[in-house]
Amino acid sequence: MITTAVVIAVAFTAICALGIAFAVFVGHSTRRGGDVDLERLRNTERSWFVVAVVILVAILVATIAFTPYGRSAGRDAQIVHVQAFQFAWLMPSTPIRANRQVEFVLTSKDVNHSFAVYTMSGKLLFEVQVMPGKTQRYVYTFRSAGTYQVLCLEYCGLGHSDMRTQFTVSA
Amino acid sequence: MTTEQLAVSRALAFRYLVASTAILGAAGSLGILLRDSQANVGRVDPGWWYALMTAHGLGTFVGWAAFALMGLSYWVLAHAGFPLRRLGRRLAVATWWLMVLGVAGVVVTCLAFKFGGSWVFLYPIAFHGAGQWGRWTAFFFSFSVLLVGLSIVTWCVSILHTVLGPALHAVSPRLWTRLGVALGLGYVAPKRFATNPRPTPYPVIPLTVIAVDMIIATLPLALLLVEMMVQALSPGVHVDPLLAKNVLWFFGHPVVYLLLFPTVAIYYTLVPRFAGRDLVAGNVIAIGWAIAVAANVLVWAHHIYIDYPSGSPQAALNVSEEPLTYAVTIVSALSLYSLFFTMYRSKFNWNAASTALYLGLASWLLAGFSGLVNATIAFDQVVHNTLWIVGHFHQMALLGIGLGIIGATYAWLPELVDRPLYSETLARWHVWLTFVFATFNTAIWMYQGLLGGPRRYAVLPHRYDTAGQLAVPISIILGAAQLLFAWNIVQTLRGRQLAERGAGSPRAILVGTAALLGAAIGGWAAIGTTGGSHAASPAPPVPAANAAGKHVFLTAGCSACHTLKAAGSTGTVGPNLDAKKPPEQLVVRFVTNGKKAMPPYKGRLTPAQIRQVAAYVSQSTR
Repeated sequence: MITTAVVIAVAFTAICALGIAFAVFVGHSTRRGGDVDLERLRNTERSWFVVAVVILVAILVATIAFTPYGRSAGRDAQIVHVQAFQFAWLMPSTPIRANRQVEFVLTSKDVNHSFAVYTMSGKLLFEVQVMPGKTQRYVYTFRSAGTYQVLCLEYCGLGHSDMRTQFTVSA
Repeated sequence: MTTEQLAVSRALAFRYLVASTAILGAAGSLGILLRDSQANVGRVDPGWWYALMTAHGLGTFVGWAAFALMGLSYWVLAHAGFPLRRLGRRLAVATWWLMVLGVAGVVVTCLAFKFGGSWVFLYPIAFHGAGQWGRWTAFFFSFSVLLVGLSIVTWCVSILHTVLGPALHAVSPRLWTRLGVALGLGYVAPKRFATNPRPTPYPVIPLTVIAVDMIIATLPLALLLVEMMVQALSPGVHVDPLLAKNVLWFFGHPVVYLLLFPTVAIYYTLVPRFAGRDLVAGNVIAIGWAIAVAANVLVWAHHIYIDYPSGSPQAALNVSEEPLTYAVTIVSALSLYSLFFTMYRSKFNWNAASTALYLGLASWLLAGFSGLVNATIAFDQVVHNTLWIVGHFHQMALLGIGLGIIGATYAWLPELVDRPLYSETLARWHVWLTFVFATFNTAIWMYQGLLGGPRRYAVLPHRYDTAGQLAVPISIILGAAQLLFAWNIVQTLRGRQLAERGAGSPRAILVGTAALLGAAIGGWAAIGTTGGSHAASPAPPVPAANAAGKHVFLTAGCSACHTLKAAGSTGTVGPNLDAKKPPEQLVVRFVTNGKKAMPPYKGRLTPAQIRQVAAYVSQSTR
């Protein structure tokens, strides 16, 4: 699992535990019954509205910088042209160097595909869509040499799950 | 409302409920088949798998959930004192027929003509069937979906016609002001949107919101579908794929709320009833809905966060969608607050129906959290198109929404058919089993997704098999639990009643559910994880001269479509090479120039590479 996925797993599990605890608390409260100041609960909804907005703005501010858009390649970047079609990836066989930017230039001959690069142990490093009639660019720097696996992550037809290839990154 | 008006709404709600539940049975079963095949149990050929996936997606999402909720909405409105008038009634009948015909068309194109473009039929995939389906199938599929789209529009008009009628008690006769009243703006600006004598009932607000939005969202999709029909007839016509993708999601996002918002109307109606008090909602909830009616049709592009082709404004659009998507969650946050605090310390009447609603609310809350992950670009980039998404929307659709439908069915079926529920005990078992096993099933998907497990894969990479096999017993029990639902409905309609013997006590259900879950996990641990079935027999050694050909075979995509034992490939899109044993020259010709679904590789592979792969194929099959 890559770091971002670990962050998601931990945060999501924690918040789900809180959510379940809250639901159980409310469900359990019906056993006690009793007088509740409904007017006060109604007014508290306004405070909850403010709290919810603040939480959402905080998440937005904390995460927006990690958006993958608009990364541009430096002058010494290695350009790798990738062509996608049902159901294969065509990549040049020249090896990619580690620790130097790679600019993938991706095109599709037919339908939508998604270029997803995994390590051989199955870590999803990144993915980016490839559309017919458009050119998509993605900049990435491989930190370690080795073999990497490419899968298609956008449903593209009958051979979708077999649309894969491998490439090598040398030190 | 008069008895006659009630009878109209009752009959409509009932016929929608019967048809949609039948569709759930058929389309839901396909889901179990797909899940088990993915886990390598009862493997379905990929061509069929994708056709079944398409039928399952459209069938359950639209044919079951949306269809059931459309009908239940008429009953929600009846409870709020809104009768269907003549036009509304006619449109409601037309909606039913359009939906039945549309879903039938989808099922026929998928199951008889093997259309496998997936329920989002991402343009232009309908025209690239890889030999499995052709343009006439694409035409018929587009036409069927168009019927479903028309059904949604006629439903929206019938809802608007009903809520804007005299039952609204709006003071103003002007249409736009009345629309504002139905949207709940009277809670924010009581003078401008005045009502007399009563304010807008809360359940009317989400129904009005979605009726407005779905008209806006469906019309562009209808145009795209018409374009696809024209393109099927004259292949020269086409449309920009990025535009088409935006149009698809411009519909595809709000259609999720075509499920959620009527479910909210059900929650707004039934939770207060079981709690014995009014909905705990202040004026601020109306602000939430006002945000929702606008944001709902502005957030589509969060479904395509990973698309931002160079030179297109898509990246900027996607970024602006993130705060808008957050904004649309406000109404869920407020509604969940209101509903949970309506229950809080109330004398809540716990029965099968109210339990389903309570568990549905909890699931909506949890699915909201995973939705927030998807809404955030920085997170979405690692879960996009993985099984995490499949987990998220099943938790929302099957539980957050489905338990709302199930709760409404148990609460209202008796009053729709004027007979008591056959068995409260069976209903309780059904509700708890559905909640526990569907939640578990969802959790497995989300776990696989975080590990990078791709969605929409007929055959998953083997590293996901272990977790996937756990889903086999889980999904089968989940499916079997729905038989309790079907049996309960059938027996209720027959006027039967089961003598209750205490088997529905919380203790009995807890012990029974835990035992089933234990058996499922135990069975999986004992036999499910051996994984022997896919341990491929080692391929025969390849002579060095052929190694280059094998490399080309495995990397250029040949293995995706062709079975070749020597290369360990099992593709079934194209001919089985072991059976065909093609001579070298023939392979060179087909690879160079293509044939039928097979693309020409001239220019993609060098002539030397083509000769290498041809030699490899003919020698290894000799």
